[in-house]
Amino acid sequence: MFIEDTFAEAFGMRAARVVITARTMKWARAAALKLTGFATSVIACKCEAAIERELTPEETPDSRPGVSALVFTMDSDSLGKRLTERIGQTVLTCPTASCFDGLPEAPDRLPAARALRTFGDRFQISKVVNGERYWRVPVMEGECLLQETFGMQKKGVGGGNFLILAEDVDSALAAAEAAVDAIDGTPGVILPFPGGVVRSGSKVGARGYKGMIASTNDAYCPTLRPLTTTALPDGVNSVLEIVLDGLSPDAIRGAMRAGIDAACRRGVRAISAGNYGGKLGPHHFHLREIMGAAS
Amino acid sequence: MSDAVVLSLRARLEGPLDMGGITPDRCATLSRSEIAALVVWIGATRATLGDLFAVRGERSLRLEVEGDLHDVHGLGAGTAAGEMVVRGDTGREAGAGMTGGVVHVHGGAGDDAGQAMAGGVLRVDGHAGDRLGGAVPGASKGMTGGEIVVFGGAGASAATMMRRGVVAVAGGVGPFAGRGMVAGTLLALGPVGEQPGLGSKRGSIIAGAGVTVPATYRLACTYEPPHVRLLLTSLRRRFAFPCDAGLLSGPYDRYCGDAGDVGKGEILVWTGR
Repeated sequence: MFIEDTFAEAFGMRAARVVITARTMKWARAAALKLTGFATSVIACKCEAAIERELTPEETPDSRPGVSALVFTMDSDSLGKRLTERIGQTVLTCPTASCFDGLPEAPDRLPAARALRTFGDRFQISKVVNGERYWRVPVMEGECLLQETFGMQKKGVGGGNFLILAEDVDSALAAAEAAVDAIDGTPGVILPFPGGVVRSGSKVGARGYKGMIASTNDAYCPTLRPLTTTALPDGVNSVLEIVLDGLSPDAIRGAMRAGIDAACRRGVRAISAGNYGGKLGPHHFHLREIMGAAS
Repeated sequence: MSDAVVLSLRARLEGPLDMGGITPDRCATLSRSEIAALVVWIGATRATLGDLFAVRGERSLRLEVEGDLHDVHGLGAGTAAGEMVVRGDTGREAGAGMTGGVVHVHGGAGDDAGQAMAGGVLRVDGHAGDRLGGAVPGASKGMTGGEIVVFGGAGASAATMMRRGVVAVAGGVGPFAGRGMVAGTLLALGPVGEQPGLGSKRGSIIAGAGVTVPATYRLACTYEPPHVRLLLTSLRRRFAFPCDAGLLSGPYDRYCGDAGDVGKGEILVWTGR
């Protein structure tokens, strides 16, 4: 398998971990899926979010089944706003669901759920348990319990990635699914795109339209091979990208290593990565260095 | 610096000894001789710690007290940081006025334990007396923060005038529990004595066993309160607090009151169904 001598270029992001619990895993997952919905890219969704993993009752603050999700934004203000919006519209509304901070050790705190208490129209009740404030908001089903503040990881990383260059779409999909399975559940890492996979990798700006923030990565589009400066080796007819956000560079490295290792299978010609020449993002994940670390 | 400062009572006391203000955070900066020179009072008689206790160790945030402590009052009172371990039953006002740290009584505590606490944790392995977590006489509020965890039962008037914090009792509590609560939480897994929550404004009383709810409280519903599950889980994990899984899930009857006051208080009664 050919691993290109290149690197993934990633950005610093703010991150929060939201732990949602409910009476059953079904309802915890239902709330988490909505909380992390339409959150593939900050470009249009204002945040990037996905389910990190499912939690056993022993792992959650209230001994119920739960789901942890990670939410990433480009700045602190935006992270607080996104949490308030999303928790308010998805956890507050979901039967039996409660919401807790998943980064209790983080010194930077966002009072994301403080504003949501007012939904209780002065019937809400504050409780402090083990030094943390929670809000009991009365709802038709009973009560919704929300932790008031959420820890913020200031050293999150967004945009870790690698490209799977395959002979055909079947091979590309199979490799991408294997990579996603290998990364799935890695602590501190999410894959914010559908099924963890991106087919529409982008380049910065556009050649034909002014004002576009991003446009199709024509160098990796097989259908444009004769029309542009292609980056595709011979025999490559389909490319899929895995994009990763993580709570730390090390988390991204570990997940990329596991994902690339799983993606190296029949029908895949090469593994590459997306970057902008190294001038935009402070984090550079060199593929050969990462895979060398595995051996 | 030592692992701990240990005070061993030399002989049975002739009168009540007030140890208020002898705290781990205070001993953390003192040498052994300085600790031995700290002033305490036996009734109206002035004495030093060294007169009454064999002192071992110095400059430690862990303070241990051992001996027959029945007549020693105010143990751990005023603690702001560190850990105080009390080996045996204590007198009155253990942990009173704490603002931080941990006071762990390996035995029972007398009346007024945790009086006017503002922070920290007071843990009592045995029973506690009357007015647990209560107010200083004449004060408008009792506890304003912190946690009191009692593994036995407690006497009358627990959590009186409570403003904030948690009082958790594994056994029963006596009459007039939670009287005049402004807020905060009183949890009793055993029977609750008569007339709980009188004059409560916004306080929560959680009753895991029998309780006679006053007439000034009105039944709202039977439900599964999520904060009770959270609180019990937290207590179980941090203190091995003895509550079974049924108490976590409920359901509980929720009574709102006291109707003679603001009426936003509650008594949650585990229905055990």
